[in-house]
Amino acid sequence: MFTATIDAALLKDSIETLTVLVDEARFRISPEGIAVRAVDPANVAMVSFDLTPNAFDDFSASDCEIGLDLTKITDILGVAERSDKVIIELDEQSKKLSIGIGQISYTLALLDPSTIRAEPRIPQLDLAAEIVINGKDLMKSVKAAEKISDHMSLGVEGETFFIEAKGDTDNMRQEMTREQLIDLKTGDVHSLFSLDYLTDMVKPASKSNEVTLHLGSDLPLKLNFNIANGEGKIGYLLAPRIESD
Amino acid sequence: MTSFKEFADVCWQIEQISGSLEMTEVVSELLQDVSEEELPVVTHFVMGTVFPAWSSSQLGIGTKLLYTALSRSSGICENDIEKLVRETGDIGETAVISLSGQSKNQATFSSFLDEIPQLSILEVFERFSNISRASGKRSQATRIKNLQYIFSSCTPEEARYLSRLSIEDLRIGVGEGIVRDAISRSFDLTPKEVERAYMVTNDLGLVAGAAKHGGSEEVGKLSLKLNRPIKMMLAQITPGIEKAIAEIGIAAIEWKFDGARVQIHKDGDKITIFSRRQEDVTHSLPDIVSAVSQHVNADSAILDGEAVAMDKNGRPRPFQDILKRFRRKYDVQKSVREIPLTLNLFDILYFDGKDLIDLSLLERREILSSCVENAENIVVDEQVLTDDENMVNEIYDAALKAGHEGIMIKNPDAPYSPGKRGKNWLKKKPLMETLDLVVIGAEWGYGRRANMIGSYALACYDPENGNFLPIGKVATGITDEQLAKLTEMFSELIIFESGRSIELKPEVVFEIAFEEIQKSPNYKSGYALRFPRLVGVREDKSPEEAETSERIEHIYMSQRD
Repeated sequence: MFTATIDAALLKDSIETLTVLVDEARFRISPEGIAVRAVDPANVAMVSFDLTPNAFDDFSASDCEIGLDLTKITDILGVAERSDKVIIELDEQSKKLSIGIGQISYTLALLDPSTIRAEPRIPQLDLAAEIVINGKDLMKSVKAAEKISDHMSLGVEGETFFIEAKGDTDNMRQEMTREQLIDLKTGDVHSLFSLDYLTDMVKPASKSNEVTLHLGSDLPLKLNFNIANGEGKIGYLLAPRIESD
Repeated sequence: MTSFKEFADVCWQIEQISGSLEMTEVVSELLQDVSEEELPVVTHFVMGTVFPAWSSSQLGIGTKLLYTALSRSSGICENDIEKLVRETGDIGETAVISLSGQSKNQATFSSFLDEIPQLSILEVFERFSNISRASGKRSQATRIKNLQYIFSSCTPEEARYLSRLSIEDLRIGVGEGIVRDAISRSFDLTPKEVERAYMVTNDLGLVAGAAKHGGSEEVGKLSLKLNRPIKMMLAQITPGIEKAIAEIGIAAIEWKFDGARVQIHKDGDKITIFSRRQEDVTHSLPDIVSAVSQHVNADSAILDGEAVAMDKNGRPRPFQDILKRFRRKYDVQKSVREIPLTLNLFDILYFDGKDLIDLSLLERREILSSCVENAENIVVDEQVLTDDENMVNEIYDAALKAGHEGIMIKNPDAPYSPGKRGKNWLKKKPLMETLDLVVIGAEWGYGRRANMIGSYALACYDPENGNFLPIGKVATGITDEQLAKLTEMFSELIIFESGRSIELKPEVVFEIAFEEIQKSPNYKSGYALRFPRLVGVREDKSPEEAETSERIEHIYMSQRD
């Protein structure tokens, strides 16, 4: 059983945090809220998504798991104004999800959750450095790097967080100290990441005032931020590119 | 669970073998080693295909997409990958080099596990299936990422075969024949049993699976199935009517229509039309669908026939008009009005749940006639039984006069043999003359032909201004020996090279056989050749003695008469 009412803007933003990585996802629904764990088809990026019942105007659910085609949902939410309310109702018997937007009501077929890729095993990661940065600032840095390369380094040297991109002929480097950031936990680390993925991830993150990065050396990047006024948590994990010797 | 690595090792082993007997042995071991679930997949993989021929699933990975995926997992830019392809002439070698280089390889989450999991054959198949299913706005990204995953999860040596497999060109020299022999050897079946099962299923993976599961008995149970198209029975060219009648005796004579062959599956109300290459073309042919549903009285049937497009005077329109109908995806109704089709039916393979292919042509024909009502755009074509050469000649003349290709001379007692080009069906049509055309350009070949010039651009001559006007390309009819000779000859005539393509000094004249001249906006001459093949080099002719554009036009017009 699952019925809920939520702001269209909030729902759109929430779904966007998933669609940047995957086309379909399994949603675990319970009285505690909604949780999604999904990995992109290349096994390079992962998202963990949690939304509490407080993010909704109205929420009532018992434990269940459903599979959804996110491309379709995004398309449908396109008809909603940001100020609209969206009413969601699950009919477990017919395996359909109804989505009401004003006078319009959609009935969508569900995907079989067992056909959707499960999240991979992730080993314990020793990510020594932690950077807290404004989401917009992070997006600006990524955009700056995109001008000259398809990958960029993130790292910490002493008290400085740095971003570096190397193209075939040109370089870009940006440095930020604790004063320019929100917070910084030092540790000498750096890793290289594909901009294809970073660009996708910082887009939803840019709406958040506070984005936390956890960095190691040649290790995945953890990128965490809140949505829905703190009632939702998003965590991305991105595998690095590794220069072999 | 068999790893892809094991499969790649076998491919490597096969690539070092030249004898087909030895190859058969290795393939046969491979087929025995894998599980029942893996067998159909492996059977196709080893032939360099992913899905069975009848399946509507298409992998559809182009080289561009492959380069992108390879670039993302190797960290080498796409331009450098393209450069490697040009240097090595082989995407497999390119994949090996780019993934083993010191570059910025993309890690995956598996890279951080203590024990890195091995890529399995079934996982590769699952990823290919994801790629084939991907649709919608983000489908290109999904395809790239699935392919990227495969490359990120394998060793460079596996990537050699994964990359080739992803464009369905494995280049280890294993074809249907070797796999058929390997199946019969692995599972103790006669070649005849395997051949029959393959003919009725069009799926060697299925045959191998049945063979492993229940041997001869299980394979014997395989039969035609609605909506799983089989290959069409083909005809040999006969040099003469006299000879044909001498071979067959009383023969069934039919017109050979100038149209496109179709195989129609009627499953209750559901009608599906397949092309000669077993592609589903139903969507483009709503007029044929409605003709079949109205005029074929059968719960279920598989029909064989030819779709013909007629002009106002009742003469067949050029083949490319029919192609327009078959390829049309949008605004289909408009093309139905512009190019209406008539369906000429000449065979039936399946009727109300019964497989008919082992019946004689005459028996099948009787069933066909009894279940089809002739109407304006659907007819069972006329058939005459005779051993009178004069009569056959008359029918032949009439067919040509009506603008069709010629006649079919069929053995009335013969069964339907899917995919076979045997002596039971013969075709007689006028021999086309050949054209002498100038070679003005070429392309370096791929793979085994990497250092050879493999494909030639042809032109006719315009005496008015001395220009050579392109009319098409020829890449078939060339033996390896000829290829080496021609490469040597042309390497002195190279004016300019860009990537694979070469511009040549117009000096050499080829004698080219062809099926038909078509109008074409793609070539400057305004015409293109259908099925061109090299007959020989006209060493006696200078480029200026090649066919003139005027003569090409003349032949085009005479085809229409």
